[in-house]
Amino acid sequence: MNRLYTSLEPRVIDDGMLKLAVGEQRPQEEAGKLAKQEGILFKDVLSLQLDFRNILRIDNLWQFENLKKLQLNNNIIEKIEGLENLTHLVWLDLSFNNIETIEGLDTLVNLEDLSLFNNCISNIDSLDALIKLQVLSLGNNQIDNMMNIIYLRRFRCLRTLSLSGNPISEVEDYKMFICAYLPDLVYLDFRRIDDHTKEVAEAKHHYSIEELKHRENLMQAQMEEEQARREELEKHKTAFVEHLNGSFLFDSMYAEDSEGNKLSSLPGVSELLESLTYRDKFVIICVNIFEYGLKHQEKRKTELDTFSECVHEAIQENQEQGKRKIAKFEEKHLMSLSAIREEVEMPNIEKMILECSTDISELFDALMTLEMQLVEQLEETINMFERNIVHLVGLFIKNVQSLYPFCDDLLCTMAQCRDLENHHHEKLLEISISTLEKAVKGNLDKDLSEDVRGLFVDKNTIVNAVGASHDIHLLKIDNREDELVTRINSWCTRLVDKIRRDEIMRNRKRVKEISLYIDHMKSELDNLEYSDILD
Amino acid sequence: MEVLREKVEEEEEAEREDAAERAERARTEKMMRQVEVRKEETTLTQEMLRDLEKKLSEIRIPVSVEVPAFTKDTIDISMLPVSYKTNTSKEEQLLQLADNFSRQYSHLCPDRVPLFLHPLNECEVPKFVSTTLRPTLMPYPELYNWDSCAQFVSDFLTMVPLPDPLKPTIKREEKVLPKKYTIRPPRDLCSRFEQEQEMKRQQEIRAQEEKRLKEEEERLMEAEKANPDALHGLRVHSWVLVLSGKREVPENFFIDPFTARSYSTQDEHFLGIESLWNHKNYWINMQDCWNCCKDLIFDLGDPVRWEYMLLGTDKPELFLTEDDSGINNEDDVENLHSWVEQIEISPEAFETRCPNGKKVIQYKRAKLEKWAPYLNHNGLVSRLTTYEDLECTNILEIKEWYRNREDMLELRHINKTTALKTDYFKPGHPRALRVHSYKSMQPEMDRVIEFYETARVDGLIKREETPRTMTEYYRGRSDFLSYRHVDFGPRVKKLTLSSAESNPRPVVKITERFFRNPAKPAEEDVAERVFLVAEERIQLRYHCREDHITASKREFLRRSEVDSEGNKIIVTPDMCITFEVEPMEHTKKLLYQYETLMHLKKEEKLSRRQVWESELEVLEILKLLKEEEEVHTLTISIYDTKRNEKSKEYREAMERMMHEEHLRQVETQLDYLAPFLVQLPPGEKLTRWQAVRLKDECLSDFKQRLINKANLIQARFEKETQELQKKQQWYQENQVTLTPEDEDLYLSYCSQAMFRIRILEQRLNRHKELAPLKYLALEEKLHKDPRLGELLKMFT
Repeated sequence: MNRLYTSLEPRVIDDGMLKLAVGEQRPQEEAGKLAKQEGILFKDVLSLQLDFRNILRIDNLWQFENLKKLQLNNNIIEKIEGLENLTHLVWLDLSFNNIETIEGLDTLVNLEDLSLFNNCISNIDSLDALIKLQVLSLGNNQIDNMMNIIYLRRFRCLRTLSLSGNPISEVEDYKMFICAYLPDLVYLDFRRIDDHTKEVAEAKHHYSIEELKHRENLMQAQMEEEQARREELEKHKTAFVEHLNGSFLFDSMYAEDSEGNKLSSLPGVSELLESLTYRDKFVIICVNIFEYGLKHQEKRKTELDTFSECVHEAIQENQEQGKRKIAKFEEKHLMSLSAIREEVEMPNIEKMILECSTDISELFDALMTLEMQLVEQLEETINMFERNIVHLVGLFIKNVQSLYPFCDDLLCTMAQCRDLENHHHEKLLEISISTLEKAVKGNLDKDLSEDVRGLFVDKNTIVNAVGASHDIHLLKIDNREDELVTRINSWCTRLVDKIRRDEIMRNRKRVKEISLYIDHMKSELDNLEYSDILD
Repeated sequence: MEVLREKVEEEEEAEREDAAERAERARTEKMMRQVEVRKEETTLTQEMLRDLEKKLSEIRIPVSVEVPAFTKDTIDISMLPVSYKTNTSKEEQLLQLADNFSRQYSHLCPDRVPLFLHPLNECEVPKFVSTTLRPTLMPYPELYNWDSCAQFVSDFLTMVPLPDPLKPTIKREEKVLPKKYTIRPPRDLCSRFEQEQEMKRQQEIRAQEEKRLKEEEERLMEAEKANPDALHGLRVHSWVLVLSGKREVPENFFIDPFTARSYSTQDEHFLGIESLWNHKNYWINMQDCWNCCKDLIFDLGDPVRWEYMLLGTDKPELFLTEDDSGINNEDDVENLHSWVEQIEISPEAFETRCPNGKKVIQYKRAKLEKWAPYLNHNGLVSRLTTYEDLECTNILEIKEWYRNREDMLELRHINKTTALKTDYFKPGHPRALRVHSYKSMQPEMDRVIEFYETARVDGLIKREETPRTMTEYYRGRSDFLSYRHVDFGPRVKKLTLSSAESNPRPVVKITERFFRNPAKPAEEDVAERVFLVAEERIQLRYHCREDHITASKREFLRRSEVDSEGNKIIVTPDMCITFEVEPMEHTKKLLYQYETLMHLKKEEKLSRRQVWESELEVLEILKLLKEEEEVHTLTISIYDTKRNEKSKEYREAMERMMHEEHLRQVETQLDYLAPFLVQLPPGEKLTRWQAVRLKDECLSDFKQRLINKANLIQARFEKETQELQKKQQWYQENQVTLTPEDEDLYLSYCSQAMFRIRILEQRLNRHKELAPLKYLALEEKLHKDPRLGELLKMFT
């Protein structure tokens, strides 16, 4: 606690206080009079000063959406809160308060200058979102751990830092340490760091910094790798064939299949599983589907790109025409307006005004015709695109599902997966039956576990077990297939919907724009009329 | 025989000729070298333009015999070497041979023009034409290839019509001008489609053009019909033939020496060929020239088509087995020596190009004048005048090219019909001028000034002026201004002296346009603002957003600042007419409007100030241009050692210093021991005894020299004294009889003698003082001398 609660009551920011503050800080002189006359909306305020007001709690600031600079210094604030909406904030002063932890700043991504001078902060953290931070003032606090400096390394724009008056500034190595670990810093504790100091500091902490850098680089590389992997997966997902480029599906078939696992320990079954005939073939199918999916994704992307490009061009061209028409009209209109102003004869004026309004309605017609024309054209194009994309998607689904291979590789459809599984199932059943026969005869292998032995009680049990395993496998395959089909279909529907919606939005906006413009023109003409009549 | 129509007379002056010849030689020599390099083609390559000129010059001489009007006086024959004036026995032999050949020829072909085999040279000595050619290599890269070389020669030659156009005989030359270094045409990257389109377009244009041309031609024909050429086909001319083969010359072609233009051998201007020669041989054309030169075959090795005079020189293309011509004289042929001197072209002469550095070429309806650089004080190097009519009386336009001007003026184009002058500047003008077109140098008149905008801080590209407007175009400004147009009103009359500077014209309207500022949203980024100063209105038009077709507009009226009751009105809602594409809340506020208006007012003031500054700048530029026009200083490259006075002085000073330094070094290196060391056997190490002796000898010798010197001074001193005494005696004896003049003479003698004596006395004293010191210094030096030092030290 830096200051005692004095005789004054602690206060909370409320509407009255804000109005007062805004009123006091409005522009001066004529502009001020105007502002008073009109009143000021909180969201137009760019800078607000709320110092020396005994504020205990920050509140009610959500209306100041466009605030750039906020001063809350010399209050008794204990907690940083209520600033989430002020995302345009560049300058925040919270010095001379009773803040203990840094928090609540995660949305202020534009903040460049932050002052927390003279508070009770003991740890620097929770500043990660402030990537543009340039000036950080943390003097007269309770920071006592040098490791806090290393935390500051992530702020690439940080140029000015003040930490004097903290326990760490008493440490003998304080200045050197900071200079070495924050090489981009220009001012420390309000003093410029000269090059010599930087060199000395760097030399002194050379090794530890190198190590740190190495670690940071490693982390960076790791993150990048992770990022790349995520992107890759994302790409596969957009092609709807994620996790098909390996044995993932195959493995998942056995993951929940206890019977299958048990059975795999039977003599001959493991060979069956590992041999080229099943597992490898299965994986090959998956990979083929995967590659086919990527290829198709590419096709769809090209299709979509071509479409958007064409649409964009058409719109551009249409806009150009519109602009030209308006420019031509404005030229003429200006001339006639000034002609009207200069004309004295009343009948002439009326005639000219009439002409003008005809011009305006002509322009309106022309613009609307243009727009309607474009709408029709786009409609046609969109329909065509829809047909094509639906066809593409259908082709993909059909091929992936179909019973017959669709490309040179013979193994590339889900149906083939199922065939394989069925085939495998038959074999497994065969082995199981023969094993059962052996079991019945009593010469079962000694090394089979109890679990497995339990299956070979009678024929029903073993057939059920094998059947259950088979069902699970088929289910997995079906699920994967369904997922693929559903997702691609819904993607397609969404895409087409979005395109249509966008087009409708565009059309409405344009119509609105045109009518607004025409209205303006008409009212301008009307005003002219009135003033003429008045004259 | 067919003869070219051109009547040509060659330059008179020998020096000129020399210069040109040198150039030609340069080429020839190069060619010769090439010949050496590639043995495969042994041919008549080497001829040069030089030949041409030689021939031409020779041709002229017979003319001059009859019409001594030109020539002669301009050539200083006495300065020419002997080879010009006499013939060696070999040459005589050759001439006889030529004579014989010529006789046989005239016997066999009596109806053909006599051969041009051995014309008289400038010293009136007959010379065989091939010997007038001397291949020479010149140090100028421009003279290496045929085109620039021909250009040089053509610059040098001046055409003078002959008094009798039919007189001179015709000569032809043979040359192979190799073109090894001609650049290859750039690769054709044009699209076929575009070419086709272009072709179609061109065809249309051509059709029109043809039609026009036809009409034009008809008109011309009519005009020219007045004087049909009576001498068509009778005139003779000399030109250069370049044979294909060497230096990658793809095909034979002609070079006209006066225009330096090349013509195909198919060109119909060339009516036929009598004979050809190079520096090795002489050929007569035996082919029929009924179809101009189109059917001629330039295979000089074919004796049926080309009758050669000398046998045994390199055969051009054909491998001739048999020669049936009557002439063969091996040893002459082996080495045909040219009697002309090597051409030497000094760099100045090369730069001057034309005789006297000036050349005028008259074309049909045009005249081209050329000057050497630095010849004209204003840097004028060439001027092209085009005329409206054939008589060259009504000037259409004049183009003047300048070089080395300090103000970087490069070209001035004067259009006489519109009186419009356009000056083009190279980069580097102090005001970054690029183009200046104007009718008058008075301010506030029609003018367009273009600038090198990268050299200007304000990014101004162009400023156009008319008496009532000024338009400026900008690029690359941080405030994105792209255009400013100002309308001026009539100037308010003032009682005081009104100049453009003190009384600027009132500004009526300023229109400014801006590029899109990507940092601002389109609806806040002003595209155009118009300050209607007189009406006190400000119009703003904003940029159009990407997906919109209309742009926001705003108009401010700032008329009454005071209302009827005298209260100051700040802003009222009707002062601002706004159209917004997407209405925004905050812009409706009066406060916003007020602030915008205040800002605009400030901007208006600023813009007006800038307009005023622009006007001032124009005045300044005009002043500067006027000054430059009057002074027209030329820049001189620091590498131009001839003209650059400063560098010359500096160089001379450097040379002087070097020289002095050298002298000093020689002095210091004087080896006082050398005369004594010579006496000792060389290469042996000195013994101590020898060293001591050497030192002693050296010292005693030096002592002797000092004594001798002292004696010498002493002797002179005494002699002077004695003479003076004698003179004094004589004076005393004859004092009475002396005329005042003699007395004066005596007195002046005395004072002079006294002066000499005094000086000698001083020198003697000085010598006495210095001698011991010098002696000691030498001793010291000897002690330190590396050759003696060690030994002497041991000794002492």
